[in-house]
Amino acid sequence: MTELMIEADRVSKTFGSVTALDDVSVAVPRGTVLGLLGHNGAGKTTLVNVLTTLLPPTSGSATVAGFDVDGQAHHVRGRIGLTGQFAAVDEQLSGLDNLVLIARLLGATRREAVTRGNELLEIFGLTDAARRAARTYSGGMRRRLDLAASLVGRPDVIFLDEPTTGLDPASRIGMWEIVETLVGDGTTVLLTTQYLDEADRLTDSITVLSQGRVVASGTAAELKAQVGQRTVVVTLSQPSDAGAAVAALAAVGLQPALDDERHAVIIPVDRSAELAVVVRALDQEDIEVGELALTEPTLDDVYLSLAHSPVAA
Amino acid sequence: MTTAVANPAATGVTHPSWRGTNVATQIMVLTGRSLRAIIRDPRMIIFSLLQPLVMLLLFSQIFASIAKTPGFPHGTSYIDFLMPAILVNTAMGAAVQGGVGLVNDMKNGVLARFRSLPIRLGSVLVARSLSDMVRTGVQLIIMVIFAALFFGFAPAGGLPGVAAAWALGLVVGWGLGWIFIAAGAWLRNAEIMQMVGFLLMFPLMFASSAYVPVGNLPGWLQGVARVNPMTYAVNASRALSLNLPVGTGVVSALATSAGLAIVGATLAIRGFRKPL
Repeated sequence: MTELMIEADRVSKTFGSVTALDDVSVAVPRGTVLGLLGHNGAGKTTLVNVLTTLLPPTSGSATVAGFDVDGQAHHVRGRIGLTGQFAAVDEQLSGLDNLVLIARLLGATRREAVTRGNELLEIFGLTDAARRAARTYSGGMRRRLDLAASLVGRPDVIFLDEPTTGLDPASRIGMWEIVETLVGDGTTVLLTTQYLDEADRLTDSITVLSQGRVVASGTAAELKAQVGQRTVVVTLSQPSDAGAAVAALAAVGLQPALDDERHAVIIPVDRSAELAVVVRALDQEDIEVGELALTEPTLDDVYLSLAHSPVAA
Repeated sequence: MTTAVANPAATGVTHPSWRGTNVATQIMVLTGRSLRAIIRDPRMIIFSLLQPLVMLLLFSQIFASIAKTPGFPHGTSYIDFLMPAILVNTAMGAAVQGGVGLVNDMKNGVLARFRSLPIRLGSVLVARSLSDMVRTGVQLIIMVIFAALFFGFAPAGGLPGVAAAWALGLVVGWGLGWIFIAAGAWLRNAEIMQMVGFLLMFPLMFASSAYVPVGNLPGWLQGVARVNPMTYAVNASRALSLNLPVGTGVVSALATSAGLAIVGATLAIRGFRKPL
């Protein structure tokens, strides 16, 4: 049995009356990548915060690198790297000084710290900016410095909270390559993302969070098979009909989900015969259909049908 | 990011894995970091000296005639009487700045990283307090030099007396600084911090022996001044620089500062533990 580097056992976290995490369990073997997929507010960052010891769980337990995140936080912190959604670097200090600071706090001598800092700056293409204050860096440069900072101590486990949000396409691919290199070296990675292509490319397994609960987990292929459904995608002529369309479809026993971006309603169907049910239900309410397509399941559909809050409920 | 990706974790492995270091090293490294920030951007020192300089300028002119009133220590010039109070005042202002500095650190983002590192959060606060103390020390020296050069500050206690008053100001600023570090850790808002500091500092400074002998204040204000801890800090600072008998003033000023530091540090660590 492979060693689990991240293990969360029925972790819950509440803030007052708000439940941010509800009985979430994940297990990540050494050297693999777990993708946490979900919308804003699904609980991804809260789970990362619990696993990186920033927030204590309200109930349940979790270990990272074999140490309890609540009781042995200090040991956990010595073995993890965290890159959050906002670059956690000292704006006043230069790129090199930022890395040296972290290395020194981790126990490196000044010389070791400078060596390690320069090494990382070179890997991340920041050597030319080594002596400039971080506040003069571009967004992409800050992200790279931030990731470099979380790698200073050669952590066993790395947490990347939406590592490519706000990056340009070239920088995204660069970030992916870095993650792949890390994993190739045996590092365990947990990354949160809203991008399916990112999850598809980087992860060994995926956990989908919605409203603080795990709604699905498995490999990308398993998730598709698990849903194993075809979907009907209905694009409406009048986007304002969306609410009525969802209600009409729910009324005939279907489980429609709304895709705001495409002004479309997505309906998982078991049999092709249900296509007729969809058309009839919409026709009865005089809802004009712009486009209608029957599609094989993609990760997108899995994501939409699972992570979207069920509109009809 | 078009760099050919070498192996970020493994490259040039010249060291064992670093897992953390002792508290003394943490404090040293973190203090060095804050001091480096001050050196890189000395505007904070310069601007926080403006207020005491303006007070020095105004009061030495406006209140100079007080030196001729009956309640005033005989044979002392007003600037020699005023300057010890200005030192305490400067130290108090610096204490407020320390709390503001902590709040700015929280916004800066670097504190978020410190929280995920194997260091004690207390080290971050102690380092803050130590670097503030160094900054306060520099500010007080600048004030003394300024007063000596341009205002004829030459107290009877001479250099040893002024040095002692300087050290006392430092301790008072350090003790009070912990209160503002605690306020920063709880309030986490620079504007509110400045407001609270302002509202607290002015009554404390004016309803005390800082600018006029307590005997010259109206009756009710004398009552306030006598229980105001600032009166004791100012009196102690004054006794040291004017070479007057210090009595228990210095001891009680030090004890009060230590008490403030203990209360402040306890509250600060509690407040600081709350997630960002």
